[in-house]
Amino acid sequence: MAAPLLSVRNLTTVIRTEGIQFEVVKGVSFDLYPNEILGLVGESGCGKTLTALSVMGLIPVPAARITGGAVHFRNKDLVGLSEREMREVRGDDISMIFQDPLTSLDPMFTVGHLLTEVIRRHRSISRSAAEAIALQALTEVELPDPATRMKQYPHQLSGGMRQRVMIAMALMLDPDILIADEPTTALDVTVQAQILDRLVGQQRRRDMSMLLITHDLGVVAAVAHRVAVMYSGEIVEQATVEQLFADPQHPYTQGLLQALPQSRHQRGPLHTIPGRVPPPQFVPPGCPFSPRCSQALLRCWEEHPELVSDNGRDLRCFNPQPLTT
Amino acid sequence: MRYLAGRTVYMLIILAISSVAVFYAIRLSGGDATAARLPASATEADRETLREVLGLNDPIYQQYFTYMGRLLSGDLGNSLTNNALISKMLIEHGRNSLILGAAAFLLVFLIGVPLGMLASVRRNTFLDQGIMSLSVAGMAVPNFWLALLSIWLFASVLGWLPSAGCCEPKQLILPAIVLAAEGTALTVRMTRSAMLENLDSDWVRTLRAGGLSEARVVGKHVFRNALIPIISLAGLRIGQIVGYALIVEVIFGWPGLGQVLVNAVLRRDYPVAQFFSLVLVVLVVLGNWLADLGYLAANPRLRKA
Repeated sequence: MAAPLLSVRNLTTVIRTEGIQFEVVKGVSFDLYPNEILGLVGESGCGKTLTALSVMGLIPVPAARITGGAVHFRNKDLVGLSEREMREVRGDDISMIFQDPLTSLDPMFTVGHLLTEVIRRHRSISRSAAEAIALQALTEVELPDPATRMKQYPHQLSGGMRQRVMIAMALMLDPDILIADEPTTALDVTVQAQILDRLVGQQRRRDMSMLLITHDLGVVAAVAHRVAVMYSGEIVEQATVEQLFADPQHPYTQGLLQALPQSRHQRGPLHTIPGRVPPPQFVPPGCPFSPRCSQALLRCWEEHPELVSDNGRDLRCFNPQPLTT
Repeated sequence: MRYLAGRTVYMLIILAISSVAVFYAIRLSGGDATAARLPASATEADRETLREVLGLNDPIYQQYFTYMGRLLSGDLGNSLTNNALISKMLIEHGRNSLILGAAAFLLVFLIGVPLGMLASVRRNTFLDQGIMSLSVAGMAVPNFWLALLSIWLFASVLGWLPSAGCCEPKQLILPAIVLAAEGTALTVRMTRSAMLENLDSDWVRTLRAGGLSEARVVGKHVFRNALIPIISLAGLRIGQIVGYALIVEVIFGWPGLGQVLVNAVLRRDYPVAQFFSLVLVVLVVLGNWLADLGYLAANPRLRKA
């Protein structure tokens, strides 16, 4: 395999509220290879978004702070960059799209204004040249009637159209990496598939790598090459999509897979994982998943498992059992 | 456009109602209008004749319509006290009030908005707390007391500024500051909270993710969004300044509309008192209407698609 484009090593981020400090991203490591889609999966509150924001240097300071680790990108460690240097990377080399397109665009400015402002931030070109780039980007994400949309305000566009604008904004400067944080979650089901399609199509066409953050394993199965499953701020299992779906090993991954609705003919209640992700200040000692785990051993309650690599799979579990259905 | 038409109709209704209210209130306040015009030795018969001439014995509604009819045809009438033309008083004193009011209005925004922005970007620091404490003080201190205190300090003790009079720039400083104090304090708080609210929004993260500088994000985008509530409250500031001008003009001996009105009320000079009361109402309502207009202009979500 080629050298990774982005290499996250032991990334640790803490949040401090009212004098108490706790880790929300706990030594996360993963690689993103050229042309690859890596799915980052987990429930709400497991640290997916904070991991992405830490990579982008967009965590809300001073409440949050990166305390350790490195993000290697093009012979640089992004964690060590100054805010000024990081701004050159953001939106140009690495860009990000967010979950809620309805609130993610400044309501006071036209779509064209917002797009050209970002373009001219990174390229010394004329306004009309920037408008041409923006128009091209909007055309590529198949926004209907892009020339008119350029002159419109965000509130005049539907949620799906706004997310296309967000995608266009993220892609228009040909980034090496796109971080997509739940890009389809806030959209209608019918629009979700279209948006996902646009994203993957652009990823292939532009030879771009993508970190796709989602809680939807169905989305991951459809588009990703590899998957990292996060729980309570750490990666608990990482494998190729084929490996992970054929033979999930971590009980949490198994629970997520079982929670997927299998078919529309299936009747009866959906499978759920009992309990919920512990808030960062109440993470139990030992394996953080142990209170919700059906196969936890005494050891799981006392000892924190390490991430162990075996046959291309990383796993953080003392007692993996094959999934029986 | 429909919104604006609605606001305009609303403004006219308010004006009509308040003209009635002003007219009745002044007549309900008791006192004898003839006392100002006739010497103390005048007989009751003389007074009665004068009342008849001035139409003060007609039913109040009839007086109202007669008055409004004249007013709308441009005849503002004369003062009962010295027979001076009210239109002339309006121009002279109105100019003075406009100078004072405009100075105070500018101070409110030129000081209030930058201080509020500063407090918001330095949220929860010593600077923020200092600015906010000052603003609490600005709202809590009654302006007549602030006026007396500032006269005592800057005129009597330090001797830097004159205590009263018109219309040198030096004489404008103290009354303008006193008149602006509370509005400035409110504007600081309003600007700060509007900025903070927008600083937390999702689109700020989008702009940062696009690589825009913090100065760009805050100074252009967040400020542009915060401007909407600031503009819509500017109308209320106009009303506040108009109201407080009564007190401030009297204390500082600034010959503006407020002073004329206060004197007229004290002397039961009905035509003057009711006309200048109406002028104040018009100013307040007009201020609110302008704020609606500004709100509309500043907010693309309200403009027609």
